[in-house]
Amino acid sequence: MDYNLSRIDYTVCGVTCPDTLKILPAYGQKTEQKIVIGDKNGVLQCFGIKDEEPVVQFKTLPGKPITSVQLAAASGTQSDKIFTASGNEVKGYTRKGKVFLSIETALTETITAMAFDFRNVVGSDLILCSGRTVTYYRDLREYHSYVCEDRVLDIATFAAPNNARVRLVVLIANKGAIILENGQLVARTSIPSGPTRLGVLATLHTADIFAFYGASDGSIGVLTFEHSVFSSKCLIEGRGLGSVVCFGWFYNNGGAHLAVGRYDGSIQLYLVDLENLSEKPRLMFTYLCGEPVTSISGGCVGGNEEGELIAATFSGRVFALRHSRMISGVANIIRASNDNLAARRAKLEQEIARLEKQTLNEREKYQRSTRSLYAGLSTPPLLNIQHEISGATKEGWQELQITSAVPLDMLFIYCNKKLHMLTDSAAVLSICSSQDNASDMLATVRCQAGMMRVWVRMRDISNKSLTSRSESKHVFVYVLPAGAPRVARLITLKLPTLPFYSQHEELNADTDSRSRSWCQLQVTGSFSVAEITSWLSDALPGELPRPTTNIAFARSHTLLGTIIICKYQRSLAIFKSDDVSAIAIIRNIVSNCSVEKRIRLDISCDIPDSYCLDSFENIKNKLADEYQKHKTIILKNSIRSLDLDYNLLSLDSEEPLLCEDYMLACKHVNNDTIQTYFTELVETILQWYNDWLSICLHSHNMKDDEQRLRKALMENNLEEVINIFSHKLKPIL
Amino acid sequence: MQISTVQPVFKLELNHKVTPNIVTIAKYDGTHPCLTACAGYDKIIIHHPHGGLAGRAQRSQAHGEVSELNLSQAVIALAAGQLRPDSNKDMLLIGSPTQILAYDVHDNTDLFFREASDGVNVITTGSFGKYTETLALVGGNSSVHGLDWEGNEIFWNVVSGKVCAIITFDYDKDGENELLIGCDDSYIRVLKNNQFIAELTETGPVLCLTPVNEVRFAYGLANGTIGIYEEGIRLWRVKSKQNAVSLQWSGESLACCWGNGRIDWREGSSGKVLRRVQMRTNGAAMLLCDYRSVGAPDLVCVSDKGEVLGYPPYQENANFNAASKKSLPSEEDRLAITELFNKKQALLVELQHNEANAASATSTDPEKPATAMPTNTKLQVAVVPSCEQGVLQLAISTNNETVVRAALVLAEGIFESGETLARHPSPAQLRSILHVPLCPPRDVPVDVHIKALVGYPESEQFHIFELTKQLPRFAMYTINPNSSYNKTIDNVTFRITERVQRLCIWINQNFLLEEEMELETEEMKELHVSLFCLRDRSILDMDFFADGHVKFSTNDLRLAGDLVQSLAVFLNLSDLQSVAHFPEAEKSLRVEMENASQIGQMRSRLAAETAERAQLITALLPAAQDAASYDLKEMLNRYKEVVMLNEELLTGCHIRRATQEQAVVSLKSLHRILQQAARLRVGKYSKDVVAASRRAVKENNIEALIKILQVGDS
Repeated sequence: MDYNLSRIDYTVCGVTCPDTLKILPAYGQKTEQKIVIGDKNGVLQCFGIKDEEPVVQFKTLPGKPITSVQLAAASGTQSDKIFTASGNEVKGYTRKGKVFLSIETALTETITAMAFDFRNVVGSDLILCSGRTVTYYRDLREYHSYVCEDRVLDIATFAAPNNARVRLVVLIANKGAIILENGQLVARTSIPSGPTRLGVLATLHTADIFAFYGASDGSIGVLTFEHSVFSSKCLIEGRGLGSVVCFGWFYNNGGAHLAVGRYDGSIQLYLVDLENLSEKPRLMFTYLCGEPVTSISGGCVGGNEEGELIAATFSGRVFALRHSRMISGVANIIRASNDNLAARRAKLEQEIARLEKQTLNEREKYQRSTRSLYAGLSTPPLLNIQHEISGATKEGWQELQITSAVPLDMLFIYCNKKLHMLTDSAAVLSICSSQDNASDMLATVRCQAGMMRVWVRMRDISNKSLTSRSESKHVFVYVLPAGAPRVARLITLKLPTLPFYSQHEELNADTDSRSRSWCQLQVTGSFSVAEITSWLSDALPGELPRPTTNIAFARSHTLLGTIIICKYQRSLAIFKSDDVSAIAIIRNIVSNCSVEKRIRLDISCDIPDSYCLDSFENIKNKLADEYQKHKTIILKNSIRSLDLDYNLLSLDSEEPLLCEDYMLACKHVNNDTIQTYFTELVETILQWYNDWLSICLHSHNMKDDEQRLRKALMENNLEEVINIFSHKLKPIL
Repeated sequence: MQISTVQPVFKLELNHKVTPNIVTIAKYDGTHPCLTACAGYDKIIIHHPHGGLAGRAQRSQAHGEVSELNLSQAVIALAAGQLRPDSNKDMLLIGSPTQILAYDVHDNTDLFFREASDGVNVITTGSFGKYTETLALVGGNSSVHGLDWEGNEIFWNVVSGKVCAIITFDYDKDGENELLIGCDDSYIRVLKNNQFIAELTETGPVLCLTPVNEVRFAYGLANGTIGIYEEGIRLWRVKSKQNAVSLQWSGESLACCWGNGRIDWREGSSGKVLRRVQMRTNGAAMLLCDYRSVGAPDLVCVSDKGEVLGYPPYQENANFNAASKKSLPSEEDRLAITELFNKKQALLVELQHNEANAASATSTDPEKPATAMPTNTKLQVAVVPSCEQGVLQLAISTNNETVVRAALVLAEGIFESGETLARHPSPAQLRSILHVPLCPPRDVPVDVHIKALVGYPESEQFHIFELTKQLPRFAMYTINPNSSYNKTIDNVTFRITERVQRLCIWINQNFLLEEEMELETEEMKELHVSLFCLRDRSILDMDFFADGHVKFSTNDLRLAGDLVQSLAVFLNLSDLQSVAHFPEAEKSLRVEMENASQIGQMRSRLAAETAERAQLITALLPAAQDAASYDLKEMLNRYKEVVMLNEELLTGCHIRRATQEQAVVSLKSLHRILQQAARLRVGKYSKDVVAASRRAVKENNIEALIKILQVGDS
């Protein structure tokens, strides 16, 4: 940790969306810059800082939620025009707060989905991203648009070489990034860690395309386009840090720093080498603020020569991180600032006293209404709560993240099926005894004081029967806040039946891999694309593509690497996979759903006879590796239970008490870094075998074979396994 | 809260593992403190930075300043104190499963060696009550006793659960220390003058206790709760996922060492965390000792890998961190401002919420929004005993068409899993009334907090109603619906001089009856109540006769004791003698005494056999080795014999272990009956029961014991 920055609180605004705080450039002689921030109440405010106290320049009236704020200006001048996006509207403000532009776009469809997103203004060009489309406006008229495979997350503009066109780098959820020029796709690259945001150095709007990206696993990397090759490279690994929410730039004597705001409430400063941008940035500073950081930006706000870092959080706190040298500083300055501080504190205390009185009045008013005979309706607004559920990790955990603008007290979770659960270390999970029917699950998660976000991990209790595996789980989460609005928000979730298939794959790459043993399921009948999409939403995690006439996509298994390809249109759906269990589950779901909807379907399966053998060949090496790890862990555990002291053992080097392998295991007996998925793999292979047998309808003599197979797998007797599988090659008639 | 960067003032590695909670610090030479710990099963390590030790202790190979002491038995507890009145040297007390050894480390002599038939769980040293000299206080599986420096038993008493923590503490501020005993049956008991004067009900096994100041003490439970009591009233408590290993009061703050190696300092009056550090591995112990000899005690934290860290007493603003050493007053202001902003934000949210609510209330939208609820909705809660299911039904209902979507009941110690019970009816079963079954497993007053979510079935947001309901001590007993049940003959009778009206009040306060008990006429002098236990469907009859005789008829000895104690507290009785008639308990008393004496005989026989065989082996082994030089066949035979003997020894060992376990069990149930017998009396009579029964047990006098149970004295 090279820098020592401390926090100074500036102000409070409403709940903020990512990247809605900007710092206006200095104007004229002054060096002080101003902060502009837009919140979900629709209030855009611009303020300067004097003596650590905000001085509001202008403030708009509440309106539609502001989802994006950008600064821009005609080329050549300072970018001091403020543009905000809310709903389907774009507004432009001067630095004095005067509206000079207000347009309502024709982006009707996506506006209903409230996925409007406005990004960038270059000259008189305006590019808007909404949902999956990128729309290009020239002189406020729609010029062209491009539809991407998934949600558009972020966009950056670069000049195209040798002409006046603009090249766009577009970040697409779950996929990667593409380059657009003139409404045409130029290049694409994939980012497997799930991109979230782009960070572009302001001085770098040149011909070379170069941008940093942040990912949902916390990693940071670069996107480069050189010699017509668009590529991504990971620079900093996530290492358990939260997903990247926002980027900002911070300059001081040390150089340029990439500031990163994360979902887990941490802020990092990375020193970037401007000469060699693809060098790994150096971590210089970390700060934890406790709630998700939505925007971060550097600038000279407080009237000091040296810059400070301004951050906004989800719940609407705006604070600065300033060098402690500037806080402590020279003695007389301290005294002056101390007086200021005391005054500021007193003022705040006064304000709070006033607010307390006001809320007390309101409370009384409400209390009166509860006693009146005339029953009015109490309709409190919905609590500001965001939630997100991830696809399964290798261990099968699906993580639900809940972010709230008010501190949380408890979560109450109900599921119609039994689940394994885990939660934050700062929260206490307690599983309640179940209700009358024993199949459901009730749990509470009690949060520590002041917690504003919490995660809960859920995992299926492994169940063998195909019917129970093809039932999706409904989870109700009631979020109870600790403080004032005494209301509980209900979040309804559906856990998919194939949680592992959360990785998006490109279609062309995997279809030609011949080594896979493809199983195919073909469904025909009178169903619409919307219907099959809704059926599939029971099976696959994450968002599915919106219904269009023709849909094709591929997903891969996080642990096994198997692939499922879905291609469907009206009245025809084809699913291809090298995982027979997935095919069996999809078949079950589709047939169940069609029965519910009373739609006649023709379902046909094409499973290769040598499926088990071929698939086993593919997974064999993985299994052998995991078996080795599994054995090491067993050895470690037994050595640990002997309670030997390594220090004492190694003293006697003349006559070793343990053999070399054991000594090695003994030395590392206490670091549990090795994880094994051996049992999971064994279970999967057994499952494949069972599903293959049942789907191919030769279900005789299963028990015996299953036991033999399990034994062979557990002992890692690969030949025996292959024997069993090849024996089954030709079905016994 | 972030992990503080506070650096310890000293740090050392023992290079030995440390068994959690078996650690003490003693001044064996009277001046220099030595850290003493159990390093796995039967090994004791002594850290002596101020010079070596003589005698039995061997210098450790792994660390130059550590000596090892090997016992032949597992080490369960360690303690040290100036037991000898003629010396200022600390004596080491070592507790093994069945024995207590007092050892003078400095002079390498044994002070005493005693069999502890009731086992040893915890040992401390200290003086309490009228005993002026330092005693070794030993907590067993169901008893607690005090030993002087020669190993003589000074006092003895029974407790109902395994003793997990003992401290000496002046509970009633009379200038004399009392004994605070934490048990695994979730009680903290106060023993004064060999008589229990208070009983604090907790929600889990009590693992650690520590005195804070004259009136306060801190406690830690096995469910992760820690807290502070002031004059018998809980000031605060917090619950964590981890268990507290040790609590210490250091520098005006409560330091707590958690099982995962985290140490936090908390404010004494509120429990707010002031500072937090994390050790590299799990915590084993934390002691308060002037280990650096600087005049003020440091916190000595020991991890299970043998890492020792010393922290000075907590001081505010002393951040130890070199960078922020020149801590400024402005820093405080700044933190306060951040706090104030937090407050402001919360208030603003509430205001906005209220405003939005008021705004939407004026609009006359006929559609019910997803968050609506009539403003005059009220929630009612009632507790109804349900005889069929044997539970108390908590009925939660609203007064209009809104439904109770879900209910959470928070209470500790009454649910089999976790701290909450929830009900979430399926959509078809949504009503404006919801029943939650409660079944407190023991007779203690319980506070249940209820959170009910109220709204319409399709709502997306529900209103939270919070209520607290107190269940009285004997909530699980309800009026007997039909008197045809067999009356029980087991009873306890005693005599009080009190008006029936007062007894009525006691019943109404301590029982949960559907209708308040009322006297039909003013002249009524007698009261007869027949109650029905929801747990086991047994019958409890309470008869209050006109002449002051009271008779509680139940076949549950413990319940009878609870009733007597509760009534005595209510009527403020200092002493009460009673006559008990419990044939079942008498029978089991006989059985247990029989068992105990049999096991005692068997144990001595087995011990003799073992000694004999061990001697044989020691003789045979060298013989076998000798034989190797001249006759291989002979050697083989002798070795075979050794193996055979060894096997016999092993079987003998297994038998001994089994008998030991059996002995512990029967001793425990014996102690339980005696404790319950003591609880049938109050004050000095209760004390007499304990004293008399100890005498009787020693003399193995079964008849006397039964007499004590019946009339309170032999």
